[in-house]
Amino acid sequence: MSTSLANVPLNAGRRRVFNSVFSPASLQARSPFSPSENENLNASFQSTGSSSTVRNDSFAVIHPDGVADSDRDWDRAWTAATAFLAVPDLGFAPVYEGKDTDGSDAIQAFGRLSPPSRETADALTYLVSAAPQAADESKNLISWYGDEIRRHFLLNLRGGLHQLLKHPEQAGLLRDMVKCLQLARRIYLTPVIHELMPRLRASTQGVVLTQLQRTFHAVVSYSLPWSQISTLLAGELAQSAIVILGIDTLLEDSSSDEDSENDMQIDRHYSVSYDDWRQQSPEDQAHMMLDSEGSHVTIARDQLLAFMNGLEVVGLGGDKAQKVFASVMNIMMTEFVRAAYTDRWEAPTSALAHLRHWVDNVFCRLVVQVLATIHTPTTDNRVPSTADVSSGDIEKWQEISVARLGALRTSELFDVIVEWPASAGAIEDLRQFITHPAARAYVTQSFIASLNQRLLHPGASTVEILQLYISIIRGFHILDPKGVLLDRIARPIRRYLRERDDTVKVIVSGLLAEAPVTAATEATLPSSTDTLIELSTELARAHKLSLEHKDSELDWDDANWMPDPVDAAPDYRKSKSADVIDSLVSLFDSKETFVKELQTLLADRLLQKREHYDQEVSVLELLKVRFGDSALQACEVMLRDIYDSRRVDGVLHAKILSRFFWPEIQDQEFKIPDEIQSIQDRYSAGFEAIKQSRKLTWRNGLGQVTVELELEDRSFLEEVTTWQATVIHAFQSSDESTTKTVEDLTEELEMAAPLVRSACLFWVSKRILAEIKRDCFRVLETLPSEDEQHVAGPGSAEDENSVDDAANAAAAAEAAAAAAAKETAEAAAMEKMNLYWQFIVGMLTNQGAMPLQRIVMMLKIVVPGGFPFSNEELREFLAGMVTRGKLEIVSGGSYKLVH
Amino acid sequence: MDYTMEDTQNSAPDAVGESKLNSSAPRNDTQSVTKRLQAELMQLMLSPSPGISAFPDADGNLLSWTATITGPTETPYEGLTMKLSFAFPNNYPYSPPTVLFKTPIYHPNVDFSGRICLDILKDKWSAVYNVQSVLLSLQSLLGEPNNASPLNAQAAELWDSNQEEFKRHVLARHRDLDDE
Repeated sequence: MSTSLANVPLNAGRRRVFNSVFSPASLQARSPFSPSENENLNASFQSTGSSSTVRNDSFAVIHPDGVADSDRDWDRAWTAATAFLAVPDLGFAPVYEGKDTDGSDAIQAFGRLSPPSRETADALTYLVSAAPQAADESKNLISWYGDEIRRHFLLNLRGGLHQLLKHPEQAGLLRDMVKCLQLARRIYLTPVIHELMPRLRASTQGVVLTQLQRTFHAVVSYSLPWSQISTLLAGELAQSAIVILGIDTLLEDSSSDEDSENDMQIDRHYSVSYDDWRQQSPEDQAHMMLDSEGSHVTIARDQLLAFMNGLEVVGLGGDKAQKVFASVMNIMMTEFVRAAYTDRWEAPTSALAHLRHWVDNVFCRLVVQVLATIHTPTTDNRVPSTADVSSGDIEKWQEISVARLGALRTSELFDVIVEWPASAGAIEDLRQFITHPAARAYVTQSFIASLNQRLLHPGASTVEILQLYISIIRGFHILDPKGVLLDRIARPIRRYLRERDDTVKVIVSGLLAEAPVTAATEATLPSSTDTLIELSTELARAHKLSLEHKDSELDWDDANWMPDPVDAAPDYRKSKSADVIDSLVSLFDSKETFVKELQTLLADRLLQKREHYDQEVSVLELLKVRFGDSALQACEVMLRDIYDSRRVDGVLHAKILSRFFWPEIQDQEFKIPDEIQSIQDRYSAGFEAIKQSRKLTWRNGLGQVTVELELEDRSFLEEVTTWQATVIHAFQSSDESTTKTVEDLTEELEMAAPLVRSACLFWVSKRILAEIKRDCFRVLETLPSEDEQHVAGPGSAEDENSVDDAANAAAAAEAAAAAAAKETAEAAAMEKMNLYWQFIVGMLTNQGAMPLQRIVMMLKIVVPGGFPFSNEELREFLAGMVTRGKLEIVSGGSYKLVH
Repeated sequence: MDYTMEDTQNSAPDAVGESKLNSSAPRNDTQSVTKRLQAELMQLMLSPSPGISAFPDADGNLLSWTATITGPTETPYEGLTMKLSFAFPNNYPYSPPTVLFKTPIYHPNVDFSGRICLDILKDKWSAVYNVQSVLLSLQSLLGEPNNASPLNAQAAELWDSNQEEFKRHVLARHRDLDDE
């Protein structure tokens, strides 16, 4: 069309008029428009050289003969025609009120339908067709009418529309505005269509109409600030698109699953929901989104298309509107992916297929329909339906949608892993996404970020972290069988786990944990919170796996060998199976740390009095497969010790431990009863006779004793620790109803006071002993009867409420035992400290007095393996040395050796 | 799997190559020196010999130590405490450490700036010697000076001629280096 217009010679002139009229300066100057200023307007036209008066001149020039007559006729005709065509200044109100009607009233009100009087009709005919240069003449009247449209619009409608724009929050504002504009357009064009068109030659009809339309579009788009309109348009589009693309139902579904069941039943035949889709058969799936859409969707679609059409008609469409539409659809894509697939992690997944289907059938459909409505003017002469959207575009949208799903899954990945293995579907989805290095890098980066934020902090327990690490290993093995991603993700976790002190302990205790007996118990106890039971099952399982396929890096016959992936780290090592145990054990630089911890734990478990140690044996066997026999030799010896000991069981169930192979065992020294001592001696003698080179050292603090007590009114039978038994034995040997103080017992048994107290409190809790006053105990030969207790009253506190009292005593005994244990642990720590004492002495001897800070620093440097104590612990230790007179504190808080 | 090496492995190949070419040998040596000295220190701590003691200086690189020798009984140095400085070369134990008396000492084989004339610290050095053996040698040197090659001729002469006068000189020269 533009090309055809360019051929019209006066087109350029008309543009100039347009420019002069709509140059911002001239408009501002003339803002309080009134009809009386019409002349002024014309005058300004005159100055531009292409206005009505100029037209008169040119007429005169063209017709030099019969000047007066034709001039008069012309003037009269012009006056009549312009009077007829002029749009009455009724303001914005009638247009606004008429926007929701069919518009005929408003058009009537503006006098656009009343047929012209005969005289006027003649004048129109004359002006339009009488002159020889019909095109020129008609153009002149037409361009006057164009000016009239501009004038009227700016004067009457612009203010009203701006008023509307001041309340952008009003619902459907843009729709109203578009309706107003549509009505205004009809008001302006009705007389043209009814009166002018029939009088024009057919060839010029189209040109004239387009010209006027353009005038209208120009003034509309000039008057309305696009920034505001685009915001409104985006809102309007989003609202409709949410409905048409089915996003609203998805949101409803997820927010109110139960109570909207009935509504959903009605809508069931049209749904873009992923859940619904999955349940259908493949054939149904293909049709599901194509066939009959919900009535509300159809309505929304029709409304939107009508609106978009109106937008196009009033000149607000075109590529600007397309841009807005594109950005809205972009957001909608994300919204849909989010609404449809968030938390839908079930395996097997078909989210991707569903998404592609949705893009093909729902998304594209809307895009094609809308773009066909608001095509750019330049594409007028093309076939609008298919040309706007090519199959390449659709493919691109598919890709974008897959990327969006990937982004969603990536953001969910942490939760997905937490839910593993229930969330295998999500991993499948993600797998489709990580096809190129950038996506892989994105996944790992964002996952590491969320790991750091959500897992690798002091608030998470080591068990939790390990649990998740196991899930990560399994999940990422599915995601990326090559293990490159896992390799990258695992690094920060492994680094962090290595920093935790209890990591080894948790792993080892997990390995030794009792495997769940049946599948049922496993189901009820999927993950215990304090031990990684999973590990022991894993150990057994992995063992079976490793037997199935033995693969090594140097398998020269491997026809399926592949080089390491390009994005693998330099020291990336392929792990062919998701071997959880191996990953965990390799956390530590050497097996030694691991084996040492295993020994300690094994020692604890073996020293318990139990019938069999099958669990330990099997775990050890499995670990031997992994580490080799030599690494676990010590553990092996420990187990054999236990079995050997059993063979020489007699009165005394001794467990003979090979000191060299067992971890250091903390012991409490005390004197055991003479009877036991003699048995021990006999046992030792026998043992040493059999095994010449070996010598027995008794560990009295470890072990269990079955104690049978005969009291006056009751008997007691229970298994207790050796030291508890020793303490009660001390009471037996003495006369009845004697009291013993903790001090007495400490002396008699050569036992540490806290331990004695703990043992006594233990017996109080069993109601064998009674604490008469603090640290003074007596055997409770007869239980006080209920009455007696009441009589006894508050005087004897321990009898008052026996149940509570027993419980309290038990708690106290436990606390005391803990205190005793702590004391021995501290003693052990002190022993270690002695080595450091040598260092400190050497340091202070040679370097002179030093402050605490410096001592700590030096120790950290010179002690192999670092200095494990804190400043406070060292300060305490040094303070002890000061009181012992080995150190003194000199000026400035420095420690100095006392010679 | 040892991840501590990750960083060096990931750095630019040139950098690694360069450092390997230029500095890896001395650096590795420093490491082995440190290791050796740490082991020696541990040995000293675990089995201390009476009258001698040594400890690294606070500069933290273990290459300089301070040692203390208590004068052996029945020698002119009885009851005196002498401090020494040890400076270990980068190729220790293949070269001897530089040992100086910090405490002013009057001794035939020690000059007035504390330099010592002792064969095992010079040409007779062997890698099997260590801090402890050096200190023990010095301790015995205090009681049995080698007057054949004196650094302090007067002391050598006095040692042979007048033990009383020698001891007076020792005490006059001795000054306890107290903790600065």
